[in-house]
Amino acid sequence: MIQTFALKKQYDTKEAVKELSLTVREGEIFGFLGPNGAGKSTTVKMLTGMIFPTNGTATVAGFDILKDPVEVKRRIGYVPESGALFETLTGWEYLQLIADLHHLERAMASKRIEEFLTLFGLWEEKGMRLQQYSKGMKQKILISAALIHNPPVLFLDEPLNGLDANAALVFKELLKKFSQQNKTIFFTSHILDVVEKICTRIAIINEGAIIAEGTSADIAHSTGQKSLEEAFSKLTGVRDARESAQDFLEALGS
Amino acid sequence: MLVLLHILKFKFISFIKTTFDFRFVTIVRGLGSLLVFGGFSIVAYFLSYEITKFVLEQSRTGLFLYHRFISMLLFVFFMSVNMGNIIVSYSTLYKSSEVNYLFTKPVSFTGIFVLKFLDNFLYSSTTLFLVAFMVLLGYGTYFGYPWYTFLGVLVFVLVPFMFLSACLAVLVLMSLMKIASRWGFRRVMMGLAGMYFALVFFFFKFSNPIKLVTQVNKYYPNVDNYFSQFDPGFVKYLPNNWVADFLFFMARGEVKFALPYAAILILVTLAMFVICMLVAYRFYYRSWLVTFEFQAQSNSLQAGRRMKMFDFRKESILPPQMESLLKKEYFQFFREPSQWIHLGLMTVLVGVFVLSVRNLNLGLRVTNVQTLTYLVLYAFGGFLTCSLALRFVFPFISLEGKALWSQISAPLDLKKAYFTKFIIGLSLILALAVIVAISSNVPFVRLSQRRPLLLWFGIFSAFWTSLTLVTLNLGFGGYFANYQEKNPIRVASSQGATLTFLFSLVYLIVLVSIIILPLLQYFNSLFIFSQFDPRVLVIPGTIFGVVSAALTAFAGVVGLRSLQRDF
Repeated sequence: MIQTFALKKQYDTKEAVKELSLTVREGEIFGFLGPNGAGKSTTVKMLTGMIFPTNGTATVAGFDILKDPVEVKRRIGYVPESGALFETLTGWEYLQLIADLHHLERAMASKRIEEFLTLFGLWEEKGMRLQQYSKGMKQKILISAALIHNPPVLFLDEPLNGLDANAALVFKELLKKFSQQNKTIFFTSHILDVVEKICTRIAIINEGAIIAEGTSADIAHSTGQKSLEEAFSKLTGVRDARESAQDFLEALGS
Repeated sequence: MLVLLHILKFKFISFIKTTFDFRFVTIVRGLGSLLVFGGFSIVAYFLSYEITKFVLEQSRTGLFLYHRFISMLLFVFFMSVNMGNIIVSYSTLYKSSEVNYLFTKPVSFTGIFVLKFLDNFLYSSTTLFLVAFMVLLGYGTYFGYPWYTFLGVLVFVLVPFMFLSACLAVLVLMSLMKIASRWGFRRVMMGLAGMYFALVFFFFKFSNPIKLVTQVNKYYPNVDNYFSQFDPGFVKYLPNNWVADFLFFMARGEVKFALPYAAILILVTLAMFVICMLVAYRFYYRSWLVTFEFQAQSNSLQAGRRMKMFDFRKESILPPQMESLLKKEYFQFFREPSQWIHLGLMTVLVGVFVLSVRNLNLGLRVTNVQTLTYLVLYAFGGFLTCSLALRFVFPFISLEGKALWSQISAPLDLKKAYFTKFIIGLSLILALAVIVAISSNVPFVRLSQRRPLLLWFGIFSAFWTSLTLVTLNLGFGGYFANYQEKNPIRVASSQGATLTFLFSLVYLIVLVSIIILPLLQYFNSLFIFSQFDPRVLVIPGTIFGVVSAALTAFAGVVGLRSLQRDF
């Protein structure tokens, strides 16, 4: 469903993504992990057709991101990490705008907006401007916007940001159901235990290149660690967490 | 105080680091800015020098009248700085995320106020300051000021004059916040706009420049004397008059008479700053809290229901994508007070211009005089179009902010999104430009006994200049886009915006220059009753068309590409 061919993005002298090649199959929940600045969001932006790669290409839902970016965009839903919305619009207006951008029929759009707002507990606030929404409420609007046209591929960049525990639980269950319906989910997150629980396969990216790929058990095993968290820590060169915490405490005590 | 200095130090470091960034692109951009700013400064300098020379040597207006005209210009300048500061300081003092952050830190309210006040003053007055200084330089060179006098006038007259205006602006703003909490923000802003226009109107009504010219000219040729007995009483209490009188006595070499005016100005400015601090000490934090009430009011459910005509659920004959994008732009504009207030002010300004120029009496049938009058009106119309395009079209792409992803990730041809913005910008600017063009051409149609050639030229020119300036501002606005900045006024006064504005002015100067000859021939033919040969329009028309088309195409490509950039 998603396939990249030596995908590369260069900003001035910095190579943000280095000839990335990966395949995500239909119905998979694919976890894409990496430390800050590793190239996760840049990869997602290229795959969603938002920015063009410097070299290489990719196909999403059977369409080339360079040749048919609009066809790719028709078939994807995207939750960005930035969480930015048009804040002078109300929740309803924003979702209607997104529905119209995706050519969704008005009656169908209204029905879905009503359902999503009710399910996320935002019905009472539908007429409030988004600048008045809390972070979690905005995240619910972002998720609704990504799902409103019922796309076969979802790109979710830190989708659980700001969600309360109940909403996060519902959302994780929803992802599993989507996977059963053969929707493909490209999931980026820093919350490793969530990734470990819901993703069927994982890739770890560091400094623009994939450094590990497989199930969480495979990755832990190949690095000789007990969990994905430890494997991630070892692969991305982060110091031992306990040692770091101790150093922080000492710094505060001095 | 130490905390304040500490924050200022880091703000300064941040400014230096962002300004002196030695990447190739930044250097090229910096050189471009330097070139345009430099060119603009030189033009301002020479214009000031030549106008002073012309007024005093050719038209022999006399020192007193010339300085009274300067006083009137300074009044308009004072009001511009003042209004600019009110609008920008609302965002800087009340809506800035930096203020929200600083209120969580152990920094006094007055400290935060001073910090943001200085920030606001430096940000909103820099370009005006540059223009004012270059004008002073041209003026002073004519009178042979030594270099230290320039410095003295700059530091002890020009800076306090602008600072006083900024202090007054902030005081007005804080009072407004107090009143607005009772009467509502919209109503108070309307009232303020009305009050400012009334102030300008009454100033000119009671100053009565025509009466003053008549009275002073009775004493011709002794027009360099000081005729303050003809000034209406209230003028003596206005800071623009202090500056004008200071310059008058300096021009006559009577420094001892000039200095008291500088002293009054400095003392009043200091007093006003102290008052500002006292008011801020008592009221800044409380007035900051008032902004939350405004936000709550504007975000209430009623606010969401207000503009039913443009409800997203209503369908029109337009394609849904285009319709939704237009509605989004509409709501983004009219739900942001700084946008509609500024548009209202600009529209009133256009209205005042239209009313004033409609009954213009073009009595003299002299070719040079009428050509000059036409050129001045034409240039003013062009200048207005430049300002409107800069203020409302330039920020279009920046104001998408980080939410631009919503459009870029949707199955939408970006050209369509770009075109929507272009159409909105063009409709607004073109409507105002055509109104200005028609009204400023009506007196000339009367003069030419109803020959409509100039009127058609005016409309044609308004159309092409609007098209070019809208494309230029939209395209350059995309190239210099700052997706972090939510305040449209700050976007429209950024370095990129200033550069675009100066570039637009160069375009305008080219237009004005190429129509001089055809206009001279037109008025000449009109006054000696000969046939006007339209072939003289071919070369200027071609230059106009080629320059406009080239700029439009270039800016269009730049703007479209900017949407494909990572943000």
